[in-house]
Amino acid sequence: MSIVTVQLGQCGNQIGHEVFNAICSDVHGTHGLCSKKENESYHEASKERFFSEEKSGVPVARAVLVDMEPKVISQTLSIAARSGCWKYDDRSHFCQKQGSGNNWANGYSVHGPKHKDRIMNLVRKEAEKCDRLSGFFTIMSMAGGTGSGLGAFVTQCLKDAFPASFILNHVIWPYGTGEVIVQNYNSVLTLSHLYRSSDALLVHENDVIHKICAQLMNIKQISFRDVNQVIAHQLGSVFQPIYTGAGPLHYSRSPLGDLMETLVPHPEFKMLGLRNIPQMPENSLAYSTFSWPGLIKHLRQMLIANATMEEGIDWQVRPPRPGSSIPSKHSTSKSLHFNTSIANLVLLRGKDMHSADLGSFQDPALYTSWLNPQDAFNLWKTPRAFNKYEKSAALVSNSQFLLKPLDNLVGKAWNMFASKAYIHQYTKFGIEEEDFLDSFTALEQVISSYTTL
Amino acid sequence: ARPAPDTLRRARFDRPQASSHCWRLLCSLLKQVHGGKWTEPDAIDIQIRFVKSVLWYHGYGRPELYRLPSDGSAGSRELLLAFSWLLHRISLLEQLLARNRVRTGDETSVCTCEDDLTNSQKGRTEIAPEYSLEDKVDVRYLQWLHGRLRFQWRSLHALHQEQSKLLHKIHLFTSGSHMDKILGHFSVTETELIRQPENYKQLLQFLESETMQLEAFLEWKQLEQVYWHWMVKTREEELQKEEFCAAARKTQEAVELKLLDLTYHCAPKKPKMHGSCRLVFRSKHSASKTGFGRSVSKEPISTVSATEVIRELQMRKASLERELKQLQEECRQRMDEIAEGLDGVICISP
Repeated sequence: MSIVTVQLGQCGNQIGHEVFNAICSDVHGTHGLCSKKENESYHEASKERFFSEEKSGVPVARAVLVDMEPKVISQTLSIAARSGCWKYDDRSHFCQKQGSGNNWANGYSVHGPKHKDRIMNLVRKEAEKCDRLSGFFTIMSMAGGTGSGLGAFVTQCLKDAFPASFILNHVIWPYGTGEVIVQNYNSVLTLSHLYRSSDALLVHENDVIHKICAQLMNIKQISFRDVNQVIAHQLGSVFQPIYTGAGPLHYSRSPLGDLMETLVPHPEFKMLGLRNIPQMPENSLAYSTFSWPGLIKHLRQMLIANATMEEGIDWQVRPPRPGSSIPSKHSTSKSLHFNTSIANLVLLRGKDMHSADLGSFQDPALYTSWLNPQDAFNLWKTPRAFNKYEKSAALVSNSQFLLKPLDNLVGKAWNMFASKAYIHQYTKFGIEEEDFLDSFTALEQVISSYTTL
Repeated sequence: ARPAPDTLRRARFDRPQASSHCWRLLCSLLKQVHGGKWTEPDAIDIQIRFVKSVLWYHGYGRPELYRLPSDGSAGSRELLLAFSWLLHRISLLEQLLARNRVRTGDETSVCTCEDDLTNSQKGRTEIAPEYSLEDKVDVRYLQWLHGRLRFQWRSLHALHQEQSKLLHKIHLFTSGSHMDKILGHFSVTETELIRQPENYKQLLQFLESETMQLEAFLEWKQLEQVYWHWMVKTREEELQKEEFCAAARKTQEAVELKLLDLTYHCAPKKPKMHGSCRLVFRSKHSASKTGFGRSVSKEPISTVSATEVIRELQMRKASLERELKQLQEECRQRMDEIAEGLDGVICISP
């Protein structure tokens, strides 16, 4: 029932902090729009999931903070403690005195093994605090240097130490025009290693979230904090308590397990994308009304047309007609924009969610041929509204959402690799060309699997 | 509804009227043994299908039974035979008693048996249903289902761990409070009773019902000889009706089965722990270095410590892992051989 969050690197720690903030403010918010009893059981389930009790009465986040530098961690710890609403365990963090040069191989091959015992001890302590461990949720950037390398190593350690637990990696896809020259190498290495050890990769693209901030949230000067808050809101809408069974007997007691079972049982298909609707500035909420049919219609088209938010959706894209032949499955740059899904999970939160009709999501044309909608589509819901949105819907999708970005990424990395640019930075610390080739092969396999849906 | 004693007598003489009663009896007994609750009685053909499949599962090999009609109109003698077989073979009554036992809540099951099912089942279930080539299934769907099963197993594992943790808490917190000084702590049922004393009536009812069943069982044990004597007479009558060859054949089959059983049971093997136990908490003895949970079993294997079981299971796990590695290696070699035969193909193993 409890999730232990492992915040890795600067990115992971800042986002993790916002996630716990979002959860706390949702739980204590007065806009639950449901019965007192419902609200109380929601509160209890959420607390059990993310926080542990301490004598002081302030909930303590079930988290381990890892970074090579002390700055971000100490900031994160103090901001959380100042909130008065929740805090981190003071001992549940690991960092080094000095930074260690932005280098993936250094993080993976040197720092990882060196500090493995200390980090895993912290994780074990957190795990033991849980009466029941649902699994691990790691947050990290894909393209970073030491943090990403270390993160990939830590994920492997988690898998080795807790083989029966679920592991969900939350990864941040870097800006396309990122600053780090070798970010594509880092991304390829991170992704291929994570794919081996974790059960699912839930991806947030920086470019996408940036657009949401600019166009939907109307933020003029977008800071990292804004981006992180949007991400936190989206994650909260997935991980806050919700009913997964047919009848609302009790909130799901195995949030990660249920998620994995509905979306990623097939070992080749682990890439998950997340969409959330509606998204708007807080001060507009009071003046907006929402209808389930409208929200669902938009969400469905976002899925089909691979749109990243509810504005600018291409409404021309339609599912292929049954019986019409699908053009060549080999080219990924095909003109067919339709996004084929393997499995989809829709989460509805708010008033009158039982009246929502999700029939349009059960159209077999949306899904790959070898999985029927009964297996492929799942609906979870709760009448308890989330984070002040009277009605909100989230979609976690195992589909071709990330196919194009992944293909581009691997393509760029391969071009660099072909001329052996910057490879010495990696071989210096034990990541050989062979390892690169293995990673490329693994990702090509993933691309191929997703292409031939 | 309980069958009348006359039913058994009628079955002996293969009276058709007794057949449907016998089917119903077998159905209700087998459902209980397999953990189902007795709900609305199904239609007779569903009952018959259920009984046949359960008998097949337990290895009942008499073809005559499986040829009985699905309207329940005939075969009471066959059913009587099957009933006796169940009584003996799967210890039907003992299983029913075990099912209806009042629970302490601390139950756990121990099993360190080798997976010898293949040996004992040899020769019985060779006829596997053949899949028609039209029923093609995409292998990715099968992989999907397999993945789901694995995830569900993991969730179950987490549930199990949680239960153990909470059980430990109960045992720890109630240590020293029990009347029984040797045991020292409460069971889950006892703890529940403390917290909700008004439930004592229900518990009392369960205990009384269990006592009645045990007394009936003791009575049966004393009269058991009479029953078997009577059954043998039934068989003798039936055998006389058949031709000599058929009888000889049957006897030969029976002897073969018996021999198989004997060889299986006499095969030298380490004593394995198996069965349902009550999990009990013992504080660390100063002499022993290992952990604290010990089990008190109601089976003849007497008390066994959790650390012992863990050790045995770890050894078993190691040997299975070795076997898995070996099989994987064999597969890898075979794949490489195949890949060598194909042009322009490289085999990349996971």
